[in-house]
Amino acid sequence: MKASVIKELLIKSLDSDADPGDISRKLEDAGISYNFSFEFRDKVLSRISAAGSAKVRELELVKNFNYAFYRIALTGVAAIVILLISIFLMQGSLSFDSFLGLSDSYDESIICLLTGN
Amino acid sequence: MIRESYRQKEENELVKASIDGDKLAFGEIVTRYQGMVARTVKGMLGDSVFAEDIGQEVFIKLFQSLSEFRGEAKLSTYIQKIAINLTLNEIKRRKRFFSMFTQSGNNKMREYMIADQNTEERKEASEIVHKALSSMDPKFRIVVIMRMLQGYSTKETAAMLDLPLGTVLSRLSRAQEQLKGILRKL
Repeated sequence: MKASVIKELLIKSLDSDADPGDISRKLEDAGISYNFSFEFRDKVLSRISAAGSAKVRELELVKNFNYAFYRIALTGVAAIVILLISIFLMQGSLSFDSFLGLSDSYDESIICLLTGN
Repeated sequence: MIRESYRQKEENELVKASIDGDKLAFGEIVTRYQGMVARTVKGMLGDSVFAEDIGQEVFIKLFQSLSEFRGEAKLSTYIQKIAINLTLNEIKRRKRFFSMFTQSGNNKMREYMIADQNTEERKEASEIVHKALSSMDPKFRIVVIMRMLQGYSTKETAAMLDLPLGTVLSRLSRAQEQLKGILRKL
């Protein structure tokens, strides 16, 4: 198709009474076609797979963190309970100082303990 | 053989299968609509490698949002809207990027366009369209592409771009004036 015909067709395509379907077909016949590369479909699918596996990895990491946190938290709670029970059995009562191991210590003895003098 | 069976499937079956993670079903959707997306994206951005990337983004976004697709509109309309949004965003992004280095951002943008037609006549026809489209204001260009390359009616174009019919008609008329001026110089 000659350049002048193409130009005419382009201008005509924007007329309000033109048949856009017919014009787009004529333009396609004239060589005005747009396509992606041959392997476009495969590229899209591999990008989707890559994004999917990255998300799975991210979810697994979060899951592992949660699992580790619960294990540590449960062990900690169990240790505290055992400590409280042992304090109660040894001293017959529970106080905050005994829980911190300060029941027999005075301020001065703590300073001695920390400084070594 | 397997891909052949997907070719026979209805659109809603392919959508359902894709949501369930069937990659081949989604591949068939890509095959069916890549031409339509190419016309919008390459028509707006030119025939460049960047346009191919945006084309891929369109389908990735489609895959991610497929579960939200209720089937009230056609799948082609849904895909077309994603393509239009991503393309217009890319134009805005490029304008911002090029305006950091040069005053004539549009001219620099055009340097990225590469023609890929073989025969002389087809090459010439393609170049005329590329040059005409790339010289147009993006808000007119998108209306022209919907009409000229996609073959949508004025009403369909208005629905696709979420614009009132009157606005599309006035943009078409102004685009036609602009196009006449551009083509006279070519």
